[in-house]
Amino acid sequence: MTLDDGTHDATHVPLFPPEDISIESKRENEFGSLTSKSYLFQVKSCHNEPIPEPIIDTPPYYISLITYVNYLILIIFGHVHDFLGIHFQRSKHLDIVEKDGMAPWYSKFESFYVRRLKKRIDDCFSRPTTGVPGRFIQCIDRVSHGFNEYFTYPGTTNMCLNLSSYNYLGFAQSEGQCTDAAISAVEKYGLHSGGSRSQIGTTELHQEAERLIAKFVGKEDAMIFSMGYGTNANFFNAFLDSKCLIVSDELNHTSIRTGVRLSGATVRSFKHGDMEGLEKLIREQIVIGQPKTGRPWKKILICVEGLFSMEGTMCNLPELVELKKRYKCYLYVDEAHSIGAVGPKGRGVCDLFGVNPHDIDILMGTLTKSFGAAGGYIACDKWIIDKLRCDLTTPNYAESPAAPVLAQIISSLRTIIGELNPGEGQERLQRIAFNSRYFRLALQRLGFIVYGNADSPVIPMLLYCPSKMPAFSRIMLQRKIAVVVVAYPATPLIESRVRFCMSASLTKEDIDYLLRHVDEVGEMLNLKLNSGKSSWDGKVQRWDIEEVIRRTPEDCKDDKYFVC
Amino acid sequence: MSSIVRLPGVLPESIPIPSFIVTACTFFWVHFHDLMVRLPLGNRMLNYIEKSSHDDPYRTIIEVSLILYGIYYYLSNPQKKKSLQGINRNLSKQEIDNLIDEWEPEGLVHRDAKDNAKQEWRLAKIPVVVDGGVDNYVSVTRNDAQERFDNVFNMSSYNFLQLSQTESVLEKARQTIKQYGVGACGPAGFYGNQDVHWNLEYDLAKFFGTEAAVLYGQDFTVAPSVLSAFTKRGDVIVADDQVSLSLQNALQLSRSTVYYFEHNNIESLDKLLTQLNAQEAKEKLPAIPRKFIVTEGIFQNIGDIAPLPELVKLKMKHKYRLFVDETLSLGVLGKTGRGLSEHFGMPRATSIDVTVGSLATAIGTSGGFTLGDAVMSNHQHIGSNAYCFSACLPAYAVSCASKILRIMDEDNSAVSTVQQLSKSMFNFFDGALREMRNYITVVSDDVSPVVHLELTPEFRSSRFHYTADQLFTYVSSSQKKRQTTIIFEPYEAEEQFLQAIVDELLMKHNILITRNIFVLKQETLPLVPSLKICCNANMNEQELLGACASIKEVILGFCSNK
Ligand SMILES: Cc1ncc(COP(=O)(O)O)c(C=O)c1O
Repeated sequence: MTLDDGTHDATHVPLFPPEDISIESKRENEFGSLTSKSYLFQVKSCHNEPIPEPIIDTPPYYISLITYVNYLILIIFGHVHDFLGIHFQRSKHLDIVEKDGMAPWYSKFESFYVRRLKKRIDDCFSRPTTGVPGRFIQCIDRVSHGFNEYFTYPGTTNMCLNLSSYNYLGFAQSEGQCTDAAISAVEKYGLHSGGSRSQIGTTELHQEAERLIAKFVGKEDAMIFSMGYGTNANFFNAFLDSKCLIVSDELNHTSIRTGVRLSGATVRSFKHGDMEGLEKLIREQIVIGQPKTGRPWKKILICVEGLFSMEGTMCNLPELVELKKRYKCYLYVDEAHSIGAVGPKGRGVCDLFGVNPHDIDILMGTLTKSFGAAGGYIACDKWIIDKLRCDLTTPNYAESPAAPVLAQIISSLRTIIGELNPGEGQERLQRIAFNSRYFRLALQRLGFIVYGNADSPVIPMLLYCPSKMPAFSRIMLQRKIAVVVVAYPATPLIESRVRFCMSASLTKEDIDYLLRHVDEVGEMLNLKLNSGKSSWDGKVQRWDIEEVIRRTPEDCKDDKYFVC
Repeated sequence: MSSIVRLPGVLPESIPIPSFIVTACTFFWVHFHDLMVRLPLGNRMLNYIEKSSHDDPYRTIIEVSLILYGIYYYLSNPQKKKSLQGINRNLSKQEIDNLIDEWEPEGLVHRDAKDNAKQEWRLAKIPVVVDGGVDNYVSVTRNDAQERFDNVFNMSSYNFLQLSQTESVLEKARQTIKQYGVGACGPAGFYGNQDVHWNLEYDLAKFFGTEAAVLYGQDFTVAPSVLSAFTKRGDVIVADDQVSLSLQNALQLSRSTVYYFEHNNIESLDKLLTQLNAQEAKEKLPAIPRKFIVTEGIFQNIGDIAPLPELVKLKMKHKYRLFVDETLSLGVLGKTGRGLSEHFGMPRATSIDVTVGSLATAIGTSGGFTLGDAVMSNHQHIGSNAYCFSACLPAYAVSCASKILRIMDEDNSAVSTVQQLSKSMFNFFDGALREMRNYITVVSDDVSPVVHLELTPEFRSSRFHYTADQLFTYVSSSQKKRQTTIIFEPYEAEEQFLQAIVDELLMKHNILITRNIFVLKQETLPLVPSLKICCNANMNEQELLGACASIKEVILGFCSNK
C-alpha cells in the first residue's frame, strides 16, 4: 500500500520536472510579448444599446443529412458491438450487467452514448498536460491501446499553441507580480484555510479580495467561494423556494441548473437569447401564477450567463435590464467567462454594454478563468450580501479559499485595474480584444461558420459531423495546436464544434500560424460551409489565406465587418 | 378513370353509413386516387390501402382518424394552447396589463427587524484572522475590526495533522507555483488535468487502498455531485438520520426514494433493509434498482463514528452499496490515518464502495475527492457534474497533497499525536462531566479530534424552554410552508448563550472555539446547537488541557448562574 513514484507502470502519467530553460524563454512561452502596437484594440462601450439578434449561419442540407447518417452509423455499430460484446466477451462488459444481485453502476442504455460514441474519441479529451497553461501548453504524449481502453505514456511532451485554456487575459504564468504574490502568500499565510468562512476560514486576504472584486464589478459588496461551480450549485436555495419562479436561458451552465434544482424553485426556460420569447413568458407567468394554486409567484428571477461558453454569444443585457424593470423581476448574470475578458475595462458585460451594474441584482462570476486563479464570487448590494453570508450554505459548511489563490486574485485584479504595473492590464485587455476580433473575422473570411459576438473571446467554429471532431482535434495536435472539441450533449446534436478560447498571451504571429493550419485542415475536412448569411456584405466568403492575413488585422477593428 | 369502377371497395357495405358521408369520401377518394397513380410507387400504396380496408375496415378508420388528428394537432399550435390553458378566461390585453401591474413581488432576500437582529450578531461574531495565516496562535479581529485579540489559542481549525505547515510542504508549494502558476485554467476534460493531478489521484488511490480516486474542486460539492451521478428515479437510498448537510443535499438531488434509519442503529437498519427487499421482491421490477446505504465516517454534527463492520455485514446481506462521507475521518482515524476502514481493521476496497473525502481537513490543502473502484471512478469523469463542469484544482494544492500523503506514509507520528490528543481531550471533558453533568453532554467519540459539547436536554428545557423535537417540528413545518425565514426564539436564545461562552473564552482566556455553525433553514434533519473544540498535532498536551480547563470553567460559570 505504500506510495512509490509509479515509474515502473507505463499507464501512469509521469511527473515532469521543471523545464530547464532561461527565464526569458519561459516568459515568452507563457506570455508572448507584443510584436506591434497596431495589434491592439480598445473596445468601446455600446452605451446601453441592445445588440441585434445574431444571425445564425446554417450549413447546406447535405451536411445535416450526412451528420445524421454519421450518427446513425455510429449508433448501429454501437448496438452491434454491445450485442456481440455481451454475448461473446462478457468479461469485458461486466460494468453494464447485474452482478451478484446488484445493479450495475450505470445501465446499458444510459451509458450507451458514452461507451460507444465518446469512448471512440477519448484520446481527444482529458489530455494530460504539464507546466503553465499559458501561450503554449505542454501536452504529455500518450499512446492509446485497445481503442482508448487505456493509455501508455512514453515520457515525452508536445509543446502546443494553447487555444484551449480559459486563460483569457494570460494570467496563467509562473513568473511576474502574480506569482510573486502567490509565493509570498505561501510564506505568510500557509496553504490551509482552517475551515468554513464563518468559523475560522476568514482572513484579511479574503476581505481584501472581496473589497476589490466589489469595486471592480461596481457593486457594494462581494463574497468569494473556493469553487465556481459550487458557488452556483449552492446559491439559489438561500433565497428561493418552490413558490418562486426562475426564468432561465436554455443554455445555462450545469452549475446553475444544479443550484436551481436544489432550491426547488419552479423553472421555465426560454430559447437562448430570445428576448421576445422571454417577455412573453414573463407576462404569461405573472398572469398565470403558480401551477395548481394559481397564486402569484413570490418572486421571479431571470437567470442568464454574460457570455455563453459554448456559443460565444452574449446576453442581451440592455434588453434584459429593460424587461426586468418593466416586470419587477430580479436579474442574475453569471459572468464566468465574461468577467475580465470583455468590456473596455474588462469589467464584464455591464462594462461592454454600458449598463449600470446597479441595475443587475446579482452578479456572479468565476475567478478560474481570466484571473488565472480558482473559485467564484457573488456581488450584490451590501444588505443582500450580509444576509447571504448567514443564509448561504457554502460559507457556513464548505472550505474557504486558500491564501495563494487569493493572492493571485488580488494581484491580477490590481494589474487589470492598473494599480500594479500600470499599463500592463490595459495592454492585456487590448490584446485579447484584438486577438478575438482578428481571429473571428479571419475565420469568417476563410469560409468557416463561426458563432458569437464580435468581442467574445470564445470562438466556436462549426464542424457538424461527429467524426470530424476527432479528425480535427488529432490533426491539430499533430500540428502542435491544442484545441477543444465539443459535441452533444453540450451542444445541439448536429452542431458539433471546435471551441477556440482566445488569450491575450498569443501574438498576432501565433494567430497567423493557427489560421494557416485551420485553413488547410478546413479544406481537407470540408469545413468551409459559410453561406454568407452572417457576413457583413451577405456574400459567400472564401478568401485566400494570404489575403486574409494581410487585410484582416486592420479590418477587424471596424465594427461594420461584424454582423453581430 | 378506371378507379371509379372500384369505388365501392373503399367503404365496405358491412358498415352502415349515411350516404352523404359515402359521397364525400368517394369524392376525396377519387382525387386522392388520381394523385397517387401519378406519383412513383403510388400504385403500390393504393393497393395496400385497398387491401387493408378490405381486410380490416376498422383499422382503416382508426388510421384515418389518427392522420386527421395529426393534421389538426399540427395546425393548432400546441405551444400557444398550453399557455392559454392556465388563464382559461379570455383576458383582454388591458386586463393582462393590469394584472401585471398589480403584481408585487417579495424582496430578493427577506428583510425585517427580527431577521436583522438574528443576522447582525452572527456577522459581528465571525472571527477574521489578521497578520498571518490560520495557525495555532492567531490574531483575530471581529465586528469590522472593532475588537482585536492577539496571541489567541486557536481551537477551531480543521487542519488536524498540520502537515501543510511543515517546511518541506511549503517548499513544494513554492516550487509548484514556480513551475505551474496558480490556476489550472480549465476543466479536467479539456487540458485542465495536469500531471500532478493524475499523480495525486494515483497516490490517493494507493494510499487508501482503492482502485482509483477522482479529484474535485471543493469538499462540500463532492457528495451531491457523485451520488446523483449514479442514481435515478426508482433507486433506493437508506441514510443515517444524522448526516450532514452535504449529504442531505446529495439525497435531495439523487431523485431516488430515500429512507432514513435511526442514527447508527444497526437493528433498525437491518429491519428496514429486510422490509425494503421484501417489498421489492413483491413488485417484480424489470431490473434491480441501485441501492445505497449512506452514512458518515466521523459525523460532522455529532463527532461519533459509524459502526463499519456491522454496516458492511448488512450491505453484503442485503446487496446494498455503502457510501461513506469521510470528510473528517480520513487522516484521523486508523493507525496510519487511512480512515474509518483502517480504524476497524477492514480493507477499504471491499468494505466501502464510495468514499467521499476532503483535502481541506486533515490533509490540509484544498479540494475534495472520492475513492472507489475503477468502473465507478471512470463513470464520474463523464457523469459527475462538479467534476466535468468545473475547473481543476490549482496545481500547488494538488502537489502538496501528494507530498503530505507521502509524509503520512513514511511517518504516522502526526496521526498518532492527534489521536492521543483527541483522547485526552475527550477524557478531560468526560471526566469533567462529574461537575457539568447537569448542564452538558459530550456527544462525540474519543477518536474524534472535534469534541462536541451539547446542553443536556433537561438543562435546555429548563433554561430555554424547548426540546430538540420541538425545534425539529418547527423547522420542518416552516420548511413545508416555504417560509422565507425561520426564527425559533428559544433556539436563538441558546445560540446566543453558546456564543456568549465563546466570547468569554476569547476575551478572558484568549481561546478561540466556535459554535457548530449551521443554516437552520436548510437542515432537514433533527439537530441541536453545540460547541466545537478542535485539537491538532501541533498542540502539546499541556496547553491543550490547560485550555480545556478554562473552557470547562467558563461553561460552568455560565450554566450555573441564573
Ligand atoms: C457559466 C459558468 N458558471 C460556472 C462555471 C464553473 O466555474 P469553475 O470552473 O470555477 O468551477 C463555469 C465553468 O465552466 C461556467 O462556464
